[in-house]
Amino acid sequence: MAGISLTKRIQIAFGLFALALCLPQVSYAQSDVVTTYKDENGWQLRVNGEPYYMKGVVWGYTPRGQNYTYNLFGQSDDQIRKILDYDFGLMAEMGVNTIRTFTMIPPKWVTYIYEEHGIMSIINPLMGRYGYNINGKWVPFTDYSDPATREILKRDMQVFVERYKDTKGVLMFAFGNESNYGLSWSSFEIENLPEGEQNTAKARYLYSLFEEVIAAGKAIAPNQPFTIVNGDLQYIDLIQELMPSLDVLGSNVYRGKSFTDLWAVAEEKLDLPVAFFEFGSDAFNARSFQEDQLNQALILKDQWEEMYRKSYGMGEEGNSIGAFIFEWRDEWWKYLQIEQLDIQNTNASWANQGYEFDWAPGQNNMNEEWFGIVALGPTNSDGVSTARPRTAFYVMQQIFTKSPLELDRDGVDRLFAGINLELLDLKGEVGQLAAESAEDKRLLRLTGGRFEGEMVLKGAEKSIDEEGRDALEFSDGQSVFLDFAFEPNDKTKGQMTVNLLGNVADKQPLEFSYGDRGRPVSVLTEQFIQIGDEQVLVEVPVPFNDQERIEIYDFNATYEGENADIEAFYHTSRFHWGYEGDHWGLLRETTDIPGMDIWNAKAPYGVEFTGKGKFKNMTFLIGPEVYWGANPKAMFKYDFRLANFDWTFIHSHDIARRTTGVDTTDITSRQNSQTAITAEREFANGIKLELGGLFSSPDEIEESFERVDRAGNVFLDEIEFEDTLGFRGKITFPWQETYLKATHAGLVADAGTVHRTFGIMDPSRLPNDGMGNKQEVEAGMIVRFGDYMLMPRVLYRDNLVHANPFIEPRIENGILRPGTTPRDTDSDPFAVLGNREARSAELYLTYDPTGATQFYDWDNDWREDAKFAYNIGGTYTRFPTKTDSYLFFFDPLRINVPFGEGLAAEDVWAVSSRIVMNPNPSSRYIFRFIRGFEQSTGNPGGLNDGNADYFEFHWRAEWNRKHFFSGFYKNDAFGPYDFFRQFNLQYPHQVQMDYSMLLGGSGVQFGSIQDEQRATRVGIRAQYRSLQEGNETFEQDGDYIFQTILYFTYQF
Amino acid sequence: MTKLNRDKAQPAGIKLLFAALLSSVALVTGGCSGGGERDENDGTLLNTITLPTDVVLNLACEDVGVWPENCVLDDPENPFATTPISEFDVNNPNDPFNKLELAARIPEGPSGAKARFYLWATALARRPSGENQYFTALALHELFDANSNVLNQDELVREQAKKAYRSVLENFFGGVAVRTCRVVDGCDPPSNFFIQLNERVADNLYRTDATGWRRLVPGDPRFAIELLIDWGFTYDPCTDLPACTNGVVSVGEF
Repeated sequence: MAGISLTKRIQIAFGLFALALCLPQVSYAQSDVVTTYKDENGWQLRVNGEPYYMKGVVWGYTPRGQNYTYNLFGQSDDQIRKILDYDFGLMAEMGVNTIRTFTMIPPKWVTYIYEEHGIMSIINPLMGRYGYNINGKWVPFTDYSDPATREILKRDMQVFVERYKDTKGVLMFAFGNESNYGLSWSSFEIENLPEGEQNTAKARYLYSLFEEVIAAGKAIAPNQPFTIVNGDLQYIDLIQELMPSLDVLGSNVYRGKSFTDLWAVAEEKLDLPVAFFEFGSDAFNARSFQEDQLNQALILKDQWEEMYRKSYGMGEEGNSIGAFIFEWRDEWWKYLQIEQLDIQNTNASWANQGYEFDWAPGQNNMNEEWFGIVALGPTNSDGVSTARPRTAFYVMQQIFTKSPLELDRDGVDRLFAGINLELLDLKGEVGQLAAESAEDKRLLRLTGGRFEGEMVLKGAEKSIDEEGRDALEFSDGQSVFLDFAFEPNDKTKGQMTVNLLGNVADKQPLEFSYGDRGRPVSVLTEQFIQIGDEQVLVEVPVPFNDQERIEIYDFNATYEGENADIEAFYHTSRFHWGYEGDHWGLLRETTDIPGMDIWNAKAPYGVEFTGKGKFKNMTFLIGPEVYWGANPKAMFKYDFRLANFDWTFIHSHDIARRTTGVDTTDITSRQNSQTAITAEREFANGIKLELGGLFSSPDEIEESFERVDRAGNVFLDEIEFEDTLGFRGKITFPWQETYLKATHAGLVADAGTVHRTFGIMDPSRLPNDGMGNKQEVEAGMIVRFGDYMLMPRVLYRDNLVHANPFIEPRIENGILRPGTTPRDTDSDPFAVLGNREARSAELYLTYDPTGATQFYDWDNDWREDAKFAYNIGGTYTRFPTKTDSYLFFFDPLRINVPFGEGLAAEDVWAVSSRIVMNPNPSSRYIFRFIRGFEQSTGNPGGLNDGNADYFEFHWRAEWNRKHFFSGFYKNDAFGPYDFFRQFNLQYPHQVQMDYSMLLGGSGVQFGSIQDEQRATRVGIRAQYRSLQEGNETFEQDGDYIFQTILYFTYQF
Repeated sequence: MTKLNRDKAQPAGIKLLFAALLSSVALVTGGCSGGGERDENDGTLLNTITLPTDVVLNLACEDVGVWPENCVLDDPENPFATTPISEFDVNNPNDPFNKLELAARIPEGPSGAKARFYLWATALARRPSGENQYFTALALHELFDANSNVLNQDELVREQAKKAYRSVLENFFGGVAVRTCRVVDGCDPPSNFFIQLNERVADNLYRTDATGWRRLVPGDPRFAIELLIDWGFTYDPCTDLPACTNGVVSVGEF
């Protein structure tokens, strides 16, 4: 269960592990002495000599809207105390005396929980179960046979034990989590064994390492027992053989209402006390498709009754010493992990016949987001996520009134016979009804929203000089977002946001923002006016001030069907298929929603069908704009396995041509269709091979184009079948992650996005481009040494056909020399643009001593926890040839217009560095420097012949996670939006400074990007831009323009 | 990478990988058949085109030469289909442009009429303007006059010319052509002057002397005025002959 679903949880756990390592060395002395005891009646756990039976739960705290990145112990002490008091107060009410958690609780809070609520903790480092940082590199599948890995794990576990050994409230040390289910690494040595022996061989490495860790740990902490968290009883013979130091057999067991022969087998093989670190049941009935508190409670009751009967002195095996129910609270993030975090999904992700109440052949019945014995409620006024006890809570409350060590056999029988399940179920149901009523769960309900207000004061040097103070312009803006959720039936649910505009502040040209759609516009209309005796028809501008005041901002809905899940999306983040075999990048990522909002773009917009059952591995996507800039399009993807390779087939077909763009960079594209096939395989020695073929733009076959040879002769040529084909191969070696990639793409074999190793945060400036007409080789490696990472990469690209020069046409004696002009992608089947010839090389050095918060994660600005981390490096690119002509979108005519000339051959370069500092837990500083020489992306003329020789400095400072000061200074750089570079609009100085303060709000805690986005905020922003001759408004505005924006966001 | 793949993974065969890698490199460095770099055997040399001197115009489509139809760009007989024709840009008045220079170098008289049609119609298809539409119509008018002996062509070209003139009035009513009066023309210093195109259209239809060619509307000149009324315009002919600068074309009937 947890082993299946917790693939991401490790990141937070590891992060907290790292946090724990960074904490100051504080010893909490006087820890309890915990021992195991055995006599003829069985086993006991004893604390300071007193018998102790673990009445436990698996505890975690993730509020609605958060996921595995949520960091409870990154909150203020006051907030942590409120949360712990709430949760552990409720647990104490139920009778819980011990918890197990995936969150690494700092020692002082372990002691706090124990002293304030009487609940002890199991310290449970996961020991590489979901990957580990080995010498600065994140290894997703821990290789327990690797000597370096074993050494590091052993060392780190000892550090852990040392840190917690004297902490009051620590009951026991446990390692791993179903680690025997995660033996996924590959190695020559093991793969050469017969298949049936491979995992056993791997398991030997695992358990021998456990033994080494425990033996070393016991030398450090003699007062606590040591155990592991095994998956059921798998490899019990190896445990018996290899782990003489084991004190307790810890196991996660999901066998249904009975643990069957586990007690006897454990007694026979190991003769150790047994503790279940996970067991339980979900509270959702996949058959009736509704919350099912009673069956969850029934299963737990049966399981605890069996455990009580198997405990000391009951006349049976006597080896039960307690257990931990999985789990305390529901977790709403577990299904999609990063999406739909505000919705409790009812998707069942795996099947278990042991849970008869909702099992059906061929159907999944285990609902990951419903395992809590308390349901996850909304956040209260203290910012604490509330909990609603289920029937199981009340049943356990009755059971936990007694420990089996206080009872005899008859007492146990009486205890369980006395449980009035009907009454307790009624209690649970009433609680559910009350909670649902309180949340006012309806078909369509308002779930929240925000109000944004701003006041803008702006001016220009020339106006101020000529008109004095009155030249300053003042404007104000108001905008409201209302969030709605709906759930018309059990299988359909979704959300949408509606935006309403009041006034719209005038911030252009310094800032463009969402809501600019409501700016006043002037429309020329024909009117007759009286001049003397005559009526004269003239064109008169008429202002419109109230356009588009209300619009749907975003929408998302899902339907869980029998054969497919259907998702309709409108302006909500969508990810590419790069990790699903789309190596040609045909489906582009659309996640920069704020970036699109500036232009009021509404992508992505469409419907996706994800097959299930017999349609598994098929995905169909259709929509007007499935990613930003896409034509109305349908896409089909099919994954399959053949000849030991994973294959992916994708077909993409444009249904029509998009008729309009939203800004000058958003050119519309000709209709196209693409068919791609990719194959990939990872070999046991770690070598990974990717091969791919592409058939693109078949409609352009026989379309003519001009080209010019080296002698200057102009040819009229045609697209042929071969020009539509593309091929690529990539081989990646495990040694320093070295890769070599080769691509051939015919003239019109256009692919999509080229995925970067580290996504949007990748510092690479290699001129990757998905367009065809190229032969390209790229190579690179990632060299890791300690906490450093060095990334050299090179790219070499030639074109099959060069860009066309401009050759002036002439007529002499009735003979036309027609000349030629640079191509563009509207008038010609292809053009040389970003796919131009290039020779590029780069080198980046990264230092990040905390590998669990990857320096290039997209949200690293919020998550980086190293005291000091940085990167530095640069890219140099030689473009030896010109380009053809770029296009821009001309809105008045709704057409693309070519710039007419191509960019010149040029050498460009940039060096940059990003520095993150966390001098203490309450402050963070991030700096970014860039120095470069780069070309325009469209206009080849104007200032400096289309080249910018620039410098940029960006910063972001954060104090107490409430105060933020950010901004930038740019010297001779392009303006801040893409079109500035497209039109070669560059400025001597650009400055922005922004200070804001988060004021909190209902349910808001701080410390993550989600928190920051949900917070009520007040701030002030100042912007300045100096102008020079050649800038578009220099004559009108003078030497500079500036503005100040006072803004306020209220969340509700 | 699926879990199944990982579980079933075998060590990579070094020979196999090298073969795959070499194939990839071969694809890149050598290119696949036909998909590599172009050479002189690909395509048709397009350095020179002899301009047509005949007067037989094959209409590429029904509305060729009439905005917004742009089929002339795909007409295989159009010598200017691939020619970059640049125009005067009011936003960048100092930028060079070649349209008038090209027009001036086409031989005068009937032997250049067809080439003139293709030049102006191509310019019109690429950039809609009253000037381009007017001179396309004028070229068609000239062709009509020139090929009067080719009976099958006569009516087609006449109607095409009328459609082109009508388009000037309907789509570019206020359009003008700017011309420079040079010293050799009697202007010292040289000066620019505007040609009101709607007036030129009406005059060309009304008076034979306006063009020196056969009128598109034969018979009494009043028939031309009636044609203009059919199109929705009124023409008050000029009286200051021979300069003919005071004719007035109006929208609708008074």
